[in-house]
Amino acid sequence: MKTFYVILLFIVFFSCKSEEDKLRFSSWQSSPTEEKIVRNSLDSFSKEHPEVAYNYQPIPGNYPEKIQLMLGTGKAPDLFWLKGDTSPAYLSFDVLQSLDSLVNADPEFDPDDFLPAFKDAFKYKGKYYGFGKDFNAYVLFYNKQMFAKAGLTAPPKNWKELQAYSKLLTKDRNQDGKPDQYGFIVEPSIDMLLPFVFQNGSDLISDDNDILVNSTAFVEAVEFFLSLYNSGVATIPSDAGAGWNGDVFGRKQVAMVISGAWMIPYLKESYPDLEYGVSELPEGKHKATLAFTNAYVIPKQTKRLEAAWKMLSYMAGKDGMRIWTSSGIALPTRKSVAIENGFYNDSIFKVFMKSAEYAKLYKVNMQERWFDETNAAMQAMFYKKANPQDVLDGLAKRLENYKLK
Amino acid sequence: MTIKPKNEQKIWAYTFLAFPLLLLSIFVFFPIAFAFIVSFFDWNLLIPDKPFVGLGNYIELFKDPVFVKAIKNTVIYTLGVVPVQTFLSLFLAFIMNQKLRGRAFFRTAFYIPAITSSVVTSIIFVWIYSKPGLLNYLLSSAGVDSNIDWLTNPSTVLPAIMMLNVWTTSGYFMVSFLAGLQNIPASLYEAARIDGASQWKQFWKIMVPMVRPVTYFVVVMSLIGCFQVFDQIFVMSSGGPDNASTTMSYFVYQNSFKYFRFGFGAASAVVLALLIFTVTAVQKKYFPPEAY
Repeated sequence: MKTFYVILLFIVFFSCKSEEDKLRFSSWQSSPTEEKIVRNSLDSFSKEHPEVAYNYQPIPGNYPEKIQLMLGTGKAPDLFWLKGDTSPAYLSFDVLQSLDSLVNADPEFDPDDFLPAFKDAFKYKGKYYGFGKDFNAYVLFYNKQMFAKAGLTAPPKNWKELQAYSKLLTKDRNQDGKPDQYGFIVEPSIDMLLPFVFQNGSDLISDDNDILVNSTAFVEAVEFFLSLYNSGVATIPSDAGAGWNGDVFGRKQVAMVISGAWMIPYLKESYPDLEYGVSELPEGKHKATLAFTNAYVIPKQTKRLEAAWKMLSYMAGKDGMRIWTSSGIALPTRKSVAIENGFYNDSIFKVFMKSAEYAKLYKVNMQERWFDETNAAMQAMFYKKANPQDVLDGLAKRLENYKLK
Repeated sequence: MTIKPKNEQKIWAYTFLAFPLLLLSIFVFFPIAFAFIVSFFDWNLLIPDKPFVGLGNYIELFKDPVFVKAIKNTVIYTLGVVPVQTFLSLFLAFIMNQKLRGRAFFRTAFYIPAITSSVVTSIIFVWIYSKPGLLNYLLSSAGVDSNIDWLTNPSTVLPAIMMLNVWTTSGYFMVSFLAGLQNIPASLYEAARIDGASQWKQFWKIMVPMVRPVTYFVVVMSLIGCFQVFDQIFVMSSGGPDNASTTMSYFVYQNSFKYFRFGFGAASAVVLALLIFTVTAVQKKYFPPEAY
C-alpha cells in the first residue's frame, strides 16, 4: 500500500511538472457551439504542430476581470483573446508582447492579407500587438413576410426610409392602443447608437483626442435614434420583455433589427421558420457601420513566446481562420479566407463583407469607465426622458477625465 | 485528574488560538490593512509604477458624482430595508411561535429564501419584475393598470431590489427571533394574562422588550448586510439605469476590477467601512442590547 501512495505521489508530481511546461491558451466562451469550434481549430493546430503541447483553459465568465488579475499577478496565459473595444487600455498599460520581429521572421503569416479595416486594429505606436481572429459588423435584418404584407419590396436605404418603413410596419392588430408589431427595435446602449453617429459624420472622440459627444452632429444622431423610440415606431427589448433584440425579432414582434452575424446561428436554432433578409445599414450623410474585432495576443510576461507565436500564427493565419470562420460563427479578417470560404458570393455573408469596407472599429481610445458613463447617459435619455443636449453636455465633461494619455 | 498550573493552561489556550488567529491574520486582517495602504496609491495592477497620491483618491471620490449617488442609494437602501425587515421577521416569529396548524410547513416556507443562493433568487425576481412578468400580471388582475419594467425604471429599480432583500432575509432573522421568543419564560405571559393584558399588549409589553438583545443582533447584522449589498445589484440591474441602483460595494467592484483602479476602489471601500463602523458605534451607544 505504501508503495502505491509513493507512486501516486510521483504521478501527481510529474504530471504537475509537465503541465507547467505546456503552452496555456485562454478564451471566453459565449456558447457551447463556440467552444466546439475552438476545440476543432485546436485539433487541427495539433495536427500541423504536434511538437507544441498546450493546455486550453477557457474562462466562462467575467473574462476581462480574470485576465486583468492574471496579468497583474504574473499568471497570465501565454496566449489569449482580447476584446477589441477594451484593447486601448491594455495597450497603453504596456503588458502585451510586440509581435513585429516575429511577423517579419515568418514569411507565411502575411499581414497584408488582412482587410484594411482590421489590419492595424491592434497596432499601437507603430507596432503590432495582436491580430484580429475574426470580425463582426452591424447590418440590418428584416422580416421578409412583414415587408411583403406591407407592400415593401426592398429594405430602407436611408434614415428617412427607415423612419417611414418603421411607421408603416408598426401595427396594432387587436386595437388595444399598444402595437403588437413594431417596425424597428433599438437598444439604449452605445454600440447600437454608434452606427448612426458615424453616419452623421461624428464619433465619441476625435483622432486628436477631442470629446465629440456634445457636438452638433453627435446630438443630431442621438435625437434621430431617440425619435424612433419616442414616436412609437421602434421598441426596446425590455419593453417587449425580452433579453435582447434577437429574441423580439425571432418572435415576430418587430420587422427590422440591427445586429451582427451572431444573430444567424441564434435564429437558425431558436426560430428556424423565420424568413428574413439581411442588408447593409440604411445610410445617413455617410455610409457607415460599426465593426467588432477580437484579437489573439501574447502577454509580455510569457516564458513560451515561440510556442505562443506558433499557435497565434496558426489560429490567426490562413488555415486556422478558415476552420474557425467556415462555420459562419464570425467573419474572417483575412481577405484570402473570405474568398476561399465563398463569403463574397453568399447572399448573407456578402453583406457583411461589403459592410467591412466602410465600417469603423469599435475601439474607443479612453479608459474603460467611458463605457458605463456613456451607457448611463443613454439610459437617462431613454428611461428618464432627459434632454439629449443637457445629458450629452454633462457626459462630455465627465469623459474629459477618462482620456488615455 | 490533576488540575494543571494556571500558566500551563494559558500556554495551551494560546496554542489553540494561534492557528485560527494565523489564518485570520493572513486572510482577513492583513488584506484589510493592505487595502487601507493601497487606498493612498494610484494602484494599477498592470503597471509596475504605483505612485503615492496621499489623499488624492479620497478627494477625487467625493468629487465623483457616481460615488455620491452610490452613497445616497446605499443609505436609502439601508433605511428602507432594515426597519421593514426587522418588523417583518419579528412579526413572522411571533406568529410562528403560536400553536398553529402546519407550523412546521410555514417555518420551512419562510426560511427557504434564506438558504437559496442569492443569484438564483435574483434571477427569479428579474422575471417577476419584467414587463410581462408576474408582478405586473398580479397588479393588473387586482385592477391596477401597471405596465412598467420595474428594473429599468429609475424610480422603481431600487425599491424593487429592496423588496427582494426583505423577502430573502426576513426568514433568516425570523429564526433568530424565534430562538429569542422561546427563551421568554411562560410565567411572564401567564402573569400578564391574569392581569388581563390583551394579546396585543403582551406583544408590545413583554415580547418586544424581552427580545431586545436579539433585536440588537438582527439590526446590526442587517445594517451591515444592507451597506454591503452587491450580488442582487450585480445580477439584476448592474447599477443601472443611469446609476439609479449603483451601491457602494458595486462602485468598489467596478473601479477595482473593471477600471483597473485598485487604489481608488480601495479608498471607496475604506469609506464604506468607516460608514458601517460609525453607524454600528452609534447604535451601540444609543440603542444598547441590554436596557432592561
